[in-house]
Amino acid sequence: MDFLVVNFAEILFYCLAVLTVAGGIGVLVFKSPVHAALSLLFTFVMVAALFLLLHAELLGAVQVLVYGGGIMVLFLFVIMLVNVKTLAPEQAFLSRLAPLAVVAGVLLGVLIAFALIFGVLVSGHGDGTALRTVGGAEIGNTEAIGAVLYTTYLVPFEIVSVVLLVAMIGAIVFGRRSAGLEIEGGGGES
Amino acid sequence: MIDVCRSLPIWLIPALPAAGFVVLALVGARFPRRWVAIVGAGSVGAAAAATLCTAIGFLGRPPETGVIEERLWSWIDVGSFEIGFNLAVDALSLVMIFVVTFVGFLIHVYSTEYMADDSAYSRFFACMNLFVAFMLMLVLADSLFLLYLGWEGVGLCSYLLIGFWYSDPANGAAARKAFIVTRVGDTAFAIALLLLYKHAGTLDIQAAMAWAADNWAVGSGIAVAVALLLLGGAVGKSAQLPLQVWLPDAMAGPTPVSALIHAATMVTAGVYLIARTHVVFELAPTAMTTVAAVGAATLLLAGCSALVQTDIKRVLAYSTISQIGYMFLGLGVGAWSAAVFHLMTHAFFKALLFLGAGAVIISLHHEQDIFKMGGLRRRLPGVFWTFLIGSASLAALPLVTAGFYSKDLILWAAWSSDSGSPWLWAAGAGGALLTAVYAFRLVFIVFFGDERGHVERRPGLLILVPLTVLAVLSVVGGFVETPSALGHVSFFFDLLDPVLPPAHATVAGHGTEVLLQTVVAAITLLGVGLAFFLYVRRPAIPAAVKASPLGAWLCGLWLSGWGFDTLYDRIFVRPFVAVAGLLRADPLDEISSSVARVIAAGNSALSRTQDGRVRTYAFGIGLGAVIAVAVVVLT
Amino acid sequence: MSLADFVPFLPEIFLGCAGFIVLLAGIPLGRRGSRPVIALAVAALAATAVLIFLVGRPAAGPQLILGDMLVVDQFAVFFKLLVLAASALALVMAAGYLDRAQYSGGEFASLILFADLGMFIMASGANLASLYVGLELMALSVYVLVGYFKLEVKSNEGAVKYFVLGAASSAILLYGISLIYGTTGSLDLETIRVTLAEVPHQNFLLLLGIALVAFGMLFKVAAVPFHVWTPDAYEGAPTPVTAFISVAPKAVAFAMFLRLFAGTFAGEVEHWRMLLWIASAATMIYGNVAALTQINVKRMLAYSSIAHAGYALMGLVAGSDAGTWAVLMYMAVYAFMNLGAFGFVILLESRGYAGERIEDFAGLARRHPGAAAGMLIFMLGLAGIPPTAGFMGKLYLWAATVEAGYIWLAVISVLMSAVSLYYYFRLVVQMYLKEGDAEDESPAEMLSDRWAGAAIAVCAVMTLAIGLWPAPLVGWAKSGLSALGLV
Repeated sequence: MDFLVVNFAEILFYCLAVLTVAGGIGVLVFKSPVHAALSLLFTFVMVAALFLLLHAELLGAVQVLVYGGGIMVLFLFVIMLVNVKTLAPEQAFLSRLAPLAVVAGVLLGVLIAFALIFGVLVSGHGDGTALRTVGGAEIGNTEAIGAVLYTTYLVPFEIVSVVLLVAMIGAIVFGRRSAGLEIEGGGGES
Repeated sequence: MIDVCRSLPIWLIPALPAAGFVVLALVGARFPRRWVAIVGAGSVGAAAAATLCTAIGFLGRPPETGVIEERLWSWIDVGSFEIGFNLAVDALSLVMIFVVTFVGFLIHVYSTEYMADDSAYSRFFACMNLFVAFMLMLVLADSLFLLYLGWEGVGLCSYLLIGFWYSDPANGAAARKAFIVTRVGDTAFAIALLLLYKHAGTLDIQAAMAWAADNWAVGSGIAVAVALLLLGGAVGKSAQLPLQVWLPDAMAGPTPVSALIHAATMVTAGVYLIARTHVVFELAPTAMTTVAAVGAATLLLAGCSALVQTDIKRVLAYSTISQIGYMFLGLGVGAWSAAVFHLMTHAFFKALLFLGAGAVIISLHHEQDIFKMGGLRRRLPGVFWTFLIGSASLAALPLVTAGFYSKDLILWAAWSSDSGSPWLWAAGAGGALLTAVYAFRLVFIVFFGDERGHVERRPGLLILVPLTVLAVLSVVGGFVETPSALGHVSFFFDLLDPVLPPAHATVAGHGTEVLLQTVVAAITLLGVGLAFFLYVRRPAIPAAVKASPLGAWLCGLWLSGWGFDTLYDRIFVRPFVAVAGLLRADPLDEISSSVARVIAAGNSALSRTQDGRVRTYAFGIGLGAVIAVAVVVLT
Repeated sequence: MSLADFVPFLPEIFLGCAGFIVLLAGIPLGRRGSRPVIALAVAALAATAVLIFLVGRPAAGPQLILGDMLVVDQFAVFFKLLVLAASALALVMAAGYLDRAQYSGGEFASLILFADLGMFIMASGANLASLYVGLELMALSVYVLVGYFKLEVKSNEGAVKYFVLGAASSAILLYGISLIYGTTGSLDLETIRVTLAEVPHQNFLLLLGIALVAFGMLFKVAAVPFHVWTPDAYEGAPTPVTAFISVAPKAVAFAMFLRLFAGTFAGEVEHWRMLLWIASAATMIYGNVAALTQINVKRMLAYSSIAHAGYALMGLVAGSDAGTWAVLMYMAVYAFMNLGAFGFVILLESRGYAGERIEDFAGLARRHPGAAAGMLIFMLGLAGIPPTAGFMGKLYLWAATVEAGYIWLAVISVLMSAVSLYYYFRLVVQMYLKEGDAEDESPAEMLSDRWAGAAIAVCAVMTLAIGLWPAPLVGWAKSGLSALGLV
């Protein structure tokens, strides 16, 4: 019993991790797109739980709001609009390369696991306070992220805003009906 | 004034014709002819002006080392291997650029009229400008690599201009022949460069020469090898035995091309090369003897051939081969300055003769057979007088012509120098007789006797002015260096002294020199008289000789240039073609074609990996990830 | 972080604003074709270059700005100017192409400017976070550009494939970055470099991170086997976009590659060198061999561009000063040659369609001698034949590789260069020796487009000029070294 109490965080972590991976596999194997999407949602929620476990409460909340909320709704909308009931069997996961792919995947998994296990054994693990530590003083999680975003990480933060702008331009370019050139001043643009 | 001249960048001299080439090649076809002429001749004229300026600067305040160097840029710089674009002007290159730009300019001016009716006017001037640019690069080069680049460049231009009228297959064949035969020599030259680089570790001319002088013993095998290989390059470019066969055929090009490339400048590049690398030759007495022997043999053989030619340009072509033979003779006996002196005077009078011949040819509507000419003395007086001066200079009429002074110096060196011998002198003197006979044979047949051929048009000022200027140079050009008995002017040798050492002469009496001069002068006058007797007084005699069996055989032999073409055809071309035919289905080809098959098989295998499916692609990437992680983590 | 930190950042700020202005200006200007707005964008690029000269250059030595997120050094300036030149040339080439296909220029030009902004950050990032967002900005802009001709199936297909695979590779790159952060506790390149000396040499977590970052970089430079997106994306994209993405993003991907591996991870060189050796060899072999039988010129050039990435990787394998500046030099040289070659594909039209097939070039020398001569220059350059710039670029790469002792890699690259002659000269043979189908009444024609013609001429002049006079570029490339802490 002591073992469970002392290592409660670890045990919870491994449970959540297994569930996260299981959700990911579910996205691949479910025939119905709706099921696959729900499996993805499950994965997102598990990731959010992992964030909570790491004391990154804000990230956990954002994960649920943005991925579990916004993006998942978008996925479901698209699935319903396009009206895909099931994925056609010939498009299923299995193909000629499947055995090779499985071998490669297993190899990659073994390699990564090897590196992770030995890496952790050699170097130990961090104390999980990186996000909360700004200038040595412990302050709130949200504040810390805000402070870091607007000072040290200002440049990446601003560039990310340009990334979003480009995404919008992309959406407009692909979304409007005409090819885009209105030399005669026609009203094809929405 | 001198400071201004010294500050003029040297690179302008080759850059100006190069710029002319670029302009003409890009937009020349759209230019009106007048503009083409202005750009074509003007760019060379500007180069001549720049040369004059450089010469004033050089002579006014000679550099202490004897060389003005100009480092332009480094082309390749890898580790210890550096190839730079650097130019250098010393007395030798100064003489060369003077000849190239001034004679070149006169020939360009002449061409503006000569080529006026040609449809490819701008192509002609573009090629000519490019040639001048490469030639200037050749003589200004500070390193043998750059020199080689210019060397190949002038070869290319020569090819383009010999085949200028490419619609006639014969012209194309002549161009190819010139290119391929000189390529034999170029290969030897390239091997010489590689050998020199391997040993000296540099291709910088001065450094390599200094290194050779310090490290190679006189007569050492490597020095002899390099010198002989350099000689190989020189005989190819300068049309000496055994690679002389291309030059007579090269007359297929327009006459100004023959004057500029195949008389005045490019063909003398071999002489320049040997003079430039004289240090190596001085270390290799065997090679020196070979140079002299090649020169002596060539001047005699080509002189005989010139005697019997009927095409006016071929006479001049053989004459050029023969005169360059004199220069080689001079080089071979260590009379470097004398050879360069003859190079200069030869450039004047041979350009003059070619341009005069060109004037005759277009006057008679592209007639080149001398026996269809005659009596042109009265119809083309300007051409006649200048041609006469040129011929006199070629024949080296004593005292009054430039050719006399330069040839005399070579012959005297052939007798008196350490490496000279009476035999070499005798060959030269015999050649002098031949030269006088064939030079004046030409004059008498073309300009004297009955009028044959119809003069269609008379040359204009643009033709006559260059002829006149060259005629003046053919006379006064010799007075820059006169023998001790005749005023003893030694401007030219003094100028070249820092670059080219004087010939090592055994103590020979002053009296001997005067005696030999008199003998040669007498031989020359005898030759002229003989020509007059045979071709004006008794034309029946040569006809009778030609009719006799021995005469006919000899005539045929000489006409074909001693049958070298047939010989080479038998021993090189035909066996090569036969072997090539045998090897058409060569089993050794299987090695190279099997490589091709492996590559082709690999190609079809790889094409299958690019099947257009994202799934396959993702698999490829995944495989890559496995490899990446495995390699990095496990090494 | 002080206000003075923003001064060297002005070129980037200006570029971002310019992208926005061009986007908006495209609406009113777009009614008169794409040329006005493209002229505006090119002017903005020129102004950016001027700004770089005025304020964006390091005063003395590398200078960290904005919370150590970016570094201003010669290395970054080299790639920034290269990106500006390549974008300007691609934009100028695109003007007529967009008009003919009836697509608007505003969004196009602004996407290129935003991509440039991303590439600036990639070239000058001093922190894994800024490098990553710069990479994403560039990548996202390029995905949209590849699919810009949305009515054409090939363009769509190329964009989707590129996007899916690109997103996957980004995720893996990010995983690698997170592992590096986990082991070293920092995203700052300099801190990581210092820490690497302290952590145990055989730290598998760290090595895994480096392997995955290498994966991401190899994907971006299109090295085998991460090249799979390249042929489809290059073939499907509008040709000016292909010209652009085969040059600028590849160059800055090498910039980031060099900064990370020749700089930050240099201490672990013994671990990653073998991977890059294999990737370089495989890329050269694959690219050149697969290019042999392509019948589409764009696809052929796509494989050729894969092969060129393999050559440039040799410089990284060499891991020396000489290798590094040889890569810089090669990227510049390759940019002009490749842009020029694609320029001709842009201008060639066959029966109202783009003349992309090899046969479309048949007999071109007779009909358009100038164009054929230009194409000849680029083919000679890409094949690496003197006196073009391509020879110089390869020469320095070979010299560096041999000097570092990787003779076999140099041998492979020389052999593969010989193979490449085959497919480059297939085009030359078509142009000069094939007459074209005599019964073909409408052979492919070069469109007369002064803008594109001028851009191609610039490329041709640069290809020859660098080949004949490489000294200034070499000097400039060498000056970029100090930034990486190599000198």
